[in-house]
Amino acid sequence: MRSPFSLKQEFLKKWILGLQRCRSSKKNMSIFKRKKVIKLSADVAMASARKGTTCWSRALIADAVKEGNADKHLAEKILGPASERQPTEKVPVGAMAYNKRIRSKKILKRSSVIRRTIKCAPQAARPSSIVKTLVGKRRQILRSLIPGGEFMNGVSLIEETLDYIISLRAQVDVMRSLASASKLVNLN
Amino acid sequence: MSGRRSGSGVSSISDDQITHLVFKLQQLIPELCARRSLKASASKVLQETCDYIRNLHKEVEDLSDRLSQLLASIDTDNDQAAIVRSLLM
Repeated sequence: MRSPFSLKQEFLKKWILGLQRCRSSKKNMSIFKRKKVIKLSADVAMASARKGTTCWSRALIADAVKEGNADKHLAEKILGPASERQPTEKVPVGAMAYNKRIRSKKILKRSSVIRRTIKCAPQAARPSSIVKTLVGKRRQILRSLIPGGEFMNGVSLIEETLDYIISLRAQVDVMRSLASASKLVNLN
Repeated sequence: MSGRRSGSGVSSISDDQITHLVFKLQQLIPELCARRSLKASASKVLQETCDYIRNLHKEVEDLSDRLSQLLASIDTDNDQAAIVRSLLM
């Protein structure tokens, strides 16, 4: 069981690193841009703290750097040089399929690449009374809330949700602590 | 990608797994924590989960806003980072 505290430390370390990578242009940044940098580096830091072990974290990072994303260059800056990135960049099962999906939806639907993404959902949910609650609108909503959710199903969807919630909570806790700490430092 | 529906053969195993996972989810969500002894219905858990995730997203947004204003005055150089780190440990 991962200790929540070490997760927070890992997140904080990566977040500060990401912020520092954007620091050179920080002096003249508008508040709007600064907020974007803070939020994006926090999200990316939380995702990379997972070290590619979860589908949502891979999808989040892949999404941040995909073609056509307005903040792509910012995300790449935060992630740092390719050599320093997580190994997930090389074999991102979910992410690779996600990127290919953008390029060619038709082929993707029929090709075996789709089967690889199903590694995120090894056993498709079989129909049962519980699983029936996982179909329909609520499942769709949940999938839309989790990065890469559209590739997940059944058991893996819930597992990813659990991990995502734990990570989000850690992220919020650290950000909140930083906000109160900054306020204290500001007052001095 | 729609779910593949194979035959209803071995549904009991997945059923237990999913029930267990849904229960774990229930324990994570503050709204439902009080009912730990009672298993909330799966659909209720899912609904609360979605709301909870949305709330967390909103908190991240708000905190990013606050931080962008607070950090306007602080230089996020190593000194400040060290202070904050020590405050958080």
